[in-house]
Amino acid sequence: MSRATRKLLLPGAIISVIVALVLAAPILPLPDVRGMDVTNRFAGPSAGHWLGQDEFGRDVLARLIWGGRASLFIAVGSALAAAFIGTVLGLLGGYFRGAVEFLTVRASEVVLCLPPLLLALLVVTILGAGTWPLILALTILYTPNYARVVYAATLQIRALDFVTAQRAMGTHPLTILWRTILPNVTPPLLVQMSLVVASAMVIESGLSFLGLGVVPPTPSWGLMIRAARGAMEVAPLLLVWPSLALAGTILTFNLLCDRLQSALDPRHVTAGGALWLRRSPRRSGAAGVTGNHRAANPPLLEIRDLSISVEAGRQPLELVHDVSITLNPGETLALVGESGSGKTLTSLALMGLLPDMLGVSGGRMICAPRQGGRIDLAQLDEDGFRGLRGGEISMVFQDAAAALNPVLRIAEQLAEAIRARSDLRGPALHSRMVELLRQVGIPDPERRLAAYPHELSGGQRQRAMIAVAIANNPRLLIADEPTTALDPTIQAQILRLFQQLKRDTPEMGLIFVTHDLAVVAEIADRVAVMYAGEVVEQGPVAEVFARPRHPYTAALIASVPEGRAERLTAIPGTVPQPHAMPPGCRFAPRCTQTRPACSARAPEVSIPAGGRMTRCIRWKEVT
Amino acid sequence: MLRYIAYRTLVALFLVWIVVTAVFLLLHLIPGDPAELLLSQGGIAADPEAVAALREKMGLNAPLWQQYIAHMGGFLSGDFGESFRDGTPVIGQIALRLPRTLEVIAGAALLATIFGVPLGTYAAIRADGKADALISLLSSVALSTPVFVVGSVVILIFAQELKILPAGGFVPFSQNPLEHLKLLLLPAGTVAIALWAVITRMSRASVLEVLQRDYVRTARAKGLGRSRILRRHVVRNALIPVLTVLGLEMGTLIGGTVLVEFVFNWPGLSGYLVAAVDARDYPEVVGIVMTISVLFVFLNLVVDVVNALLDPRISLVKS
Repeated sequence: MSRATRKLLLPGAIISVIVALVLAAPILPLPDVRGMDVTNRFAGPSAGHWLGQDEFGRDVLARLIWGGRASLFIAVGSALAAAFIGTVLGLLGGYFRGAVEFLTVRASEVVLCLPPLLLALLVVTILGAGTWPLILALTILYTPNYARVVYAATLQIRALDFVTAQRAMGTHPLTILWRTILPNVTPPLLVQMSLVVASAMVIESGLSFLGLGVVPPTPSWGLMIRAARGAMEVAPLLLVWPSLALAGTILTFNLLCDRLQSALDPRHVTAGGALWLRRSPRRSGAAGVTGNHRAANPPLLEIRDLSISVEAGRQPLELVHDVSITLNPGETLALVGESGSGKTLTSLALMGLLPDMLGVSGGRMICAPRQGGRIDLAQLDEDGFRGLRGGEISMVFQDAAAALNPVLRIAEQLAEAIRARSDLRGPALHSRMVELLRQVGIPDPERRLAAYPHELSGGQRQRAMIAVAIANNPRLLIADEPTTALDPTIQAQILRLFQQLKRDTPEMGLIFVTHDLAVVAEIADRVAVMYAGEVVEQGPVAEVFARPRHPYTAALIASVPEGRAERLTAIPGTVPQPHAMPPGCRFAPRCTQTRPACSARAPEVSIPAGGRMTRCIRWKEVT
Repeated sequence: MLRYIAYRTLVALFLVWIVVTAVFLLLHLIPGDPAELLLSQGGIAADPEAVAALREKMGLNAPLWQQYIAHMGGFLSGDFGESFRDGTPVIGQIALRLPRTLEVIAGAALLATIFGVPLGTYAAIRADGKADALISLLSSVALSTPVFVVGSVVILIFAQELKILPAGGFVPFSQNPLEHLKLLLLPAGTVAIALWAVITRMSRASVLEVLQRDYVRTARAKGLGRSRILRRHVVRNALIPVLTVLGLEMGTLIGGTVLVEFVFNWPGLSGYLVAAVDARDYPEVVGIVMTISVLFVFLNLVVDVVNALLDPRISLVKS
């Protein structure tokens, strides 16, 4: 039994007890609900009357149980009636569409134009108070709820292949509706049912409380609360019992509804919270700056043996394994690999932006900030990263449409990026923004500043995204597939913009994440090829392309469509999943040049030449 | 934007027409004679002479289409006829009492938002933690307790036992502002409890969703501080669906304060409606129902327009 199903037991059990109690009311040894005993009015609990006696000396417990019987009868009765009518309307409307839909579903929705209690009052005005008018009013009220739910579900199921097939074979529509579609709309119906019972009880008790629902002397919780209000000074407990019974029952039905929903729809589980917003530091806050000035000209970034793991679960699962990369000022490194290779995770780790369930589980990321010294990014907490983001390290994200806030103008989003690191304001701020937009090649920057992201074209949005990233002249810029979401002409333009940026800021280091080798050749000085969480080969672009030292690199190069080549050689097979990594070389299962030794144990890093590395034991023979 | 507002207004006017027509149909197309229904009480047949007189008075003898035109005309000119009970124009009573009901709703919405948005946001940030579980439990209880139960219990606690607030009643603001607000506090607070639960849940769900969005990550990448990201990027975007729900709930409340007004003896529009229903005062009931329904539709229109102002994409997508 799954956890979601187990959670159904509690509300289910309580409801069973309540239903059993009210059903058994006539055979339970309860005092007569109408039996008055005026001498003992407002008497407290006693052996004969466990919950005491009311303003006429009647037994409170008996009235509570019989009152529940009345309330549940009305609520369940109207919920069933509404379910029946609503389901028929929804099925017909959803199946036949067109005019039938208008006459069924849309017509019933007119009811939703009126506030619920109001509609009930209107019906009661016309028909008078009492149990049956109440059931009628509630039925009218809740029919559209069912009709809508069933309608939506029917539309979905109707489009499925097996229904289309039945229709094509000439099965009678009613048979399809009854045999195929109805069973499939049952889950949402059940959820709706518990919701409607709860909400019908609210309205029923409310109307009874007003004296417009259940007619005395029939007991009802609403009426009991009404009567108890008058006697509040003498016997406050009389108010408490029916209130508890009513609220408790409704609460249980609501609970049942919530849990049914999560049991029937596993996707309902929420992904929770945001660790970065909580102020508890994950690591010792004193991380970071060491005064070690070994080299006069230190690399901008030195990643050593970086591993990233899923922290949740019993056993941490490594997604990125032993990545080592060095980047010098002014250099451009391309991180290349298929999706799932860990290239985006590595770049997010540099910004401290890994998703909550992931974390750096080993290695160092030594960064040399402007003011000197060295910082290990792997030791930083959220506040530590905050000091570096924007000014030292900055990032251009893949999908600019999603990465820009849709409800803020470009000017607002650019201004806050600038002001995160400087005190510019007023005209100076404005002219800096115009300058930035001009730098990234957005025409008519003055006007574009006032635009919302959705008013820009895809290419312009990506340019604005880049403007935000370079607003504070970062020493290290990470671009995560900045051209992937764009069409080819725009891709080329954005690529030219990055080349321009490199010329304008010769000291800036650039990490360019991509899966496109053609892009690598155009922009990067060095390339690191990633596969299944590892860097499998690294070296200067020209050398790696001319003479790959890893079969995966060779296969990637071979799969690039050259010139007017008609055929694209794809690499057969797929990237292994993190929980099912091959024991030896991770590429061995897909490799055309594999030997038994490849699968025996994980290959060591080899250095074929200065500035190059490979993880292939047969690098000398790679073709 | 203007085109969008115009479009929404047209839809709203259409809905108003539907509602007014629906009320008419409800009264005239149900089986049986409205006049007879109105006059008969619990199975006792009505006096035929009285029925005939009432039919005359209600104009039921005219053809249906003429009655419909009269009905629409009355609605358009704001003339809902005279009360059966005291012969005064129904519209006068509505004008007097509607502001009082709106006051309760506005107060409740204010309280619910002030407490609901921060708590819902906090629960989302600490999702699946202890605070989240507690807030979730509280909101479930608040949602499940009918408003008249809350009201009665609140009176029991604050007026009966603690004796710090009056149990109910009404004093016009112009007469005694302080007393007026004191009397307003309990009814508004009572309505606010269920509304708070709705706002809290909605804020929690909405903030959780926004936290997963890419633009929040962008805001972090800019090096912005927590509180700024929270205010400007998370809560601001998360508020849009919350406001929609608040607007819809307020619409429902316009007709739903009946119980609160009754419990606290607040002479608003809804309480008047109950009295009218009780007395089967046909013109009063119709007048009030139509007023409330039109306000309901109008409020939904306001929600749509406010949404479009908050999220500039909406006016593009839907118009």
